Amino acid sequence: MIVPYTHVMLLGAIVFLMGMICTLTRRNLMMIIVGLEIMLNAAAIVFVGAGLEFGQIEGQVMALFIVAVAAAEVSVGLAMVVCIYRQTQSLDPQCTEDSRCPAGTEKASEPASGP
Amino acid sequence: MTDWILFIPELYTLAAAGVFFFFCLGRARPGRDYAAAMVLSAAGLVLTVCSAGFEGLIFEGVYRVDLYSQVFKVLIYSGFFLVVCLCADLSGVDETRHSEFYLLLCLCTLAMMLLASSVHLLTLYISLEISSYSLYVLVYLRRGSSQRVKPAFQYFVMGAAASAVMLFGFALVYGAFGSAHMAELMHQVPARIHEPLVFTGFVLSLSGFFFKLAVFPFHFWAPDAYEAAPHQVSAYIATASKVAAIAILVRMIALTGGQGDRVAWVLIFVSVASMTAGNLAALIQKDIKRLLAFSSVAHAGYVMIGILSANAMGYAGAVFYGLSLMVMKFVCFMVVVKASDGGRNIDTEALAGLHHRAPVLALALLLALFGLAGIPPTIGFTAKLLVFRAAMDQGLLWLVIVAMFNVVISLYYYLLVLKAAYYTESEGRPREVALSVPLKCLAGAMIFLMVAGGLWPGYMIVLAESMTAGLLP
Repeated sequence: MIVPYTHVMLLGAIVFLMGMICTLTRRNLMMIIVGLEIMLNAAAIVFVGAGLEFGQIEGQVMALFIVAVAAAEVSVGLAMVVCIYRQTQSLDPQCTEDSRCPAGTEKASEPASGP
Repeated sequence: MTDWILFIPELYTLAAAGVFFFFCLGRARPGRDYAAAMVLSAAGLVLTVCSAGFEGLIFEGVYRVDLYSQVFKVLIYSGFFLVVCLCADLSGVDETRHSEFYLLLCLCTLAMMLLASSVHLLTLYISLEISSYSLYVLVYLRRGSSQRVKPAFQYFVMGAAASAVMLFGFALVYGAFGSAHMAELMHQVPARIHEPLVFTGFVLSLSGFFFKLAVFPFHFWAPDAYEAAPHQVSAYIATASKVAAIAILVRMIALTGGQGDRVAWVLIFVSVASMTAGNLAALIQKDIKRLLAFSSVAHAGYVMIGILSANAMGYAGAVFYGLSLMVMKFVCFMVVVKASDGGRNIDTEALAGLHHRAPVLALALLLALFGLAGIPPTIGFTAKLLVFRAAMDQGLLWLVIVAMFNVVISLYYYLLVLKAAYYTESEGRPREVALSVPLKCLAGAMIFLMVAGGLWPGYMIVLAESMTAGLLP
């Protein structure tokens, strides 16, 4: 392996932290889900790197399964986001059904194209 | 060669899920769904009990069937069956969604059974995710309440984040040892647990299970999800899901072979934090389901005491605690389901005069709350005694004293609920609490189990000890 395992691990850690920061700080439901996906993929990077380091196929198998699980996660998460958007007309997690977000505050970044 | 006989309970549950899947496709008929769920879950429980003696490794060694996993499967299945027993009045869920409700419940049970048996990081991860995804959707199925989406989404985000952290921890552990199989890790982890990489990976990989058990840093979903979910789903989360989390957490901690002092300190921290946070927050709750959620957090802390002791009695105590929590929490939720009107949430005051309206139910609630508070002679007292003894054997007297203070705090809010049920007379004409004969029998069986677990726990303790004997090095 040309790239040493420690470098792969470092890359994985950086990507993982970026995903976590994205999940924790963004005020947009879509970006929260994107952050979760990035965290999963960071783990997949480390798995593949470790599999190469030890010359095993297990790491890549793990990565394949992680891709499948991530797809399931997006399908559950996006379904909820669509429901929330229908109720509040906003992707901001701080807007609730009772207190609609006033027009001036931070709204969803996407233009409202829904119903 | 896979021995499919060992896999029969899981295959059966999958087939049951398939039945409900076909029900989903047709027109909604709630009565048929309920009857099918009762029959299928009862037959499955019998099947699981019959398969309790199975032993062996299947699927190339990633799936281990032994006494430990089989008894936990029986516990998880009885949780499923008991929750289905409460579904006669499933008014919290839209009528067209009943078959989907049972389908997801079945799938979640299947995933937890897989979880109890998995000894490979991959099977562990996949089964944990399947059970979590079913629960996210189940929490969302509550009818009518306008506030249901937010807690469900919050639950989803926290669960997904916790499992991502856990997965990264798995990746670090795999990278350090070059093996993802627990039997191989068990030989290698104890010697190298003090290496920073292994320690970090191990602690991170516990976070997913902490989330399932609602232990302190991952407990924020619990009150909102319990409050927003249909009563039956809250009952399921509080019983079967907690038992599965205890099963897998004991297996994970057993990997350290009692060598991880630093891991033990992390566990002591989360244990003390979750009992204190859970008990203090429960003091001011009005809604019974929120109160039970915080009490779950507190009890997760007590269970952790047994697990972190990492000796034979500690593991056996944790397993026993899982059983006792299941019985006691189920009784509490049975009262909630029966006393609530049309699936709405109820306050403690709604229980006023319960001992007139439903004496058997009130007696069961009395014993369950005494058990949760750890008063003899109930099953909860025995469970607490076991985990505290285990901690004393490890020289953790101060931890036991902290836990005892917490028990005293918890007495206050459990007794408030009891006061409402026994000493407060209801104003006006309260709603009748109609208890059908089978449910009366069920309440009677629970009462018997709670008292028997307090007076003659010997058999159950021996069983728990022989279950966990294989986990010790």
